[in-house]
Amino acid sequence: MIDNPYKNYFEMMPAYLTILDPDLRIVEANRRFRRDFGDFEGRYCFQINQHRSERCEHCPAERTFRDGLRHGIEEKFINRLGNEISLLIHTTPITNESGEITHVMKMATDITEIKLLQNQIRDSRERYRKLFEEVPCYISIQDSDLRIVDANRQLREDFGASPGDKCHQIYMHRTEACVPCIVKQTFEDGQVHQTEEVMTSPKGEQVNVLVYTAPVRNAEGQIKNVIEMSTNITQIRQLQSQLTSLGLIISSISHGIKGLLTSLDGGVYLVNTGLAKNDRARFEQGWKMVERNITRIRRMVLDLLYYAKDRVPELETIPALAVAEEVCEVMRGKAAEIGIDFRWEIDRNPGELEADSKAIRSLLINLVENAIDACRVDKKKAAHQVRIGLKGYSDYIEFEVEDNGIGMDQEIRERAFSLFFSSKRGSGTGLGLFISNKIAQAHGGGIKIESELNKGTRMIVKLPRKPPAPKTEAPKV
Amino acid sequence: MSSPKRILIVDDEQDIRTYLSTLLGDQGYETIQAKDGGEAMQKIQAEPPDLITLDISMPEKSGIRFFREIKTDDRWKHIPIIVVTGVSEDMKTFISSRHHVPAPEGFVSKPINQEEILDLVRKIITQ
Repeated sequence: MIDNPYKNYFEMMPAYLTILDPDLRIVEANRRFRRDFGDFEGRYCFQINQHRSERCEHCPAERTFRDGLRHGIEEKFINRLGNEISLLIHTTPITNESGEITHVMKMATDITEIKLLQNQIRDSRERYRKLFEEVPCYISIQDSDLRIVDANRQLREDFGASPGDKCHQIYMHRTEACVPCIVKQTFEDGQVHQTEEVMTSPKGEQVNVLVYTAPVRNAEGQIKNVIEMSTNITQIRQLQSQLTSLGLIISSISHGIKGLLTSLDGGVYLVNTGLAKNDRARFEQGWKMVERNITRIRRMVLDLLYYAKDRVPELETIPALAVAEEVCEVMRGKAAEIGIDFRWEIDRNPGELEADSKAIRSLLINLVENAIDACRVDKKKAAHQVRIGLKGYSDYIEFEVEDNGIGMDQEIRERAFSLFFSSKRGSGTGLGLFISNKIAQAHGGGIKIESELNKGTRMIVKLPRKPPAPKTEAPKV
Repeated sequence: MSSPKRILIVDDEQDIRTYLSTLLGDQGYETIQAKDGGEAMQKIQAEPPDLITLDISMPEKSGIRFFREIKTDDRWKHIPIIVVTGVSEDMKTFISSRHHVPAPEGFVSKPINQEEILDLVRKIITQ
């Protein structure tokens, strides 16, 4: 049917070439077709190509017979070995001298590898998308106006970011760009930049992030976008802060212990020399120093234990009056030593509460010590007072410690319960109020501060008569 | 017979003041006390001592501030000062590293070694 030399070209074509008659029977096929699909004589193309008994639904050859035009389609053939091959099929009419279509030539080009490549690209794109979406950090793609073009799932969920938003609006809640802005820097110099920022989530949570930016270039090498990746390092920063605080507290404790040891040495020196000189007054003075400093060491150790572990209160039913009176007895001498007027306004029948008596005593002594200190360092008033109050209510007990000492400004008030915060310069450990607050909270209560700079402070301790049951199991001591 | 040398003991802890006062008093020194830098300055102005022992961490005027004031005042800068503190040894370097302020004449760490402080006082006072 095909004359030389075209017969040779037909045979050698690197595609599957077949000639079909109007019944779609294969009347000619090239070498490659014969190799992969076997004997064709007397068989229909759908039998050989598709292993089916009926014509295909969208047969391009049939259409070419019908309209005389060329048609193309993508199809899958099954070769003689049973393997599926993806093919791009083109049909073209073959006419006789009168212009009638007698046959159709069907050329099928193997695009299996191209299809495979396409699938791989699609899979790869999906994998990158998944990585982009699921990676545990905040990723955004930004344009040169700092508008977010794309944002990953974590950024969308935690910060509500969507395309069109500006980066600084989302992260910082402000209208102006950050100074410096590392996204801008990357647009300018094409380099990777790094910075650390504190961002605020829509819930108002502070998030410490380590931010990296890198250029996204187009095929011409121009920077089209910048990718910004922010890793949440809040926990690392918190840990660092705790470690720094731990260092500070160790230094502070070490300083405190050195002072206590010196005082204790002093007491021992007075006791020894008092005995040697038969000086009773000196001996007694020394012994008081020893006793006083042993008490201080004991209190410091107890405070440290409270800091070191979340101690569960050892609850017992105690009369509130007895606790308040005991604290007043201990502290009024100390106040009197430095000329402070020590008063108490106590409800004589406040009732009982379930509490850890040692812890509550320690809490109140701590507050009274602070009140005395606040008066001691206040040089602006001629006379100072510390007042202890106690009132019993139906379901809670309220202790009050009030002084007219130096008072606190807003900053000190806000940080008063923070661990290691002390307004007493070198003489405070920063443990006292932190632990007092912790004790109150462990009893289901709390401490409220009312204070004004240069006027004085009122600390109100509210403790329920019966603390709620602890949520967690008590740690083993 | 010459009058005893006067030593001013500056520390916010009453027990430490008592200790140093008794220890030095037993060696024949006359001692006076101040609980912070402000009070110490008043005592110096009333009657300058021959030596000062100085704590660093005090709630009112700190030892460092007091030290600088004394050592930059022509009236008092000749008075030798022994720093007696529980803060780290770094403080020694810190105090000495300040511009225009000389180093303290002595440095004793708390808890105090009695022999060490007595030797130091003796040495400085007899110079």
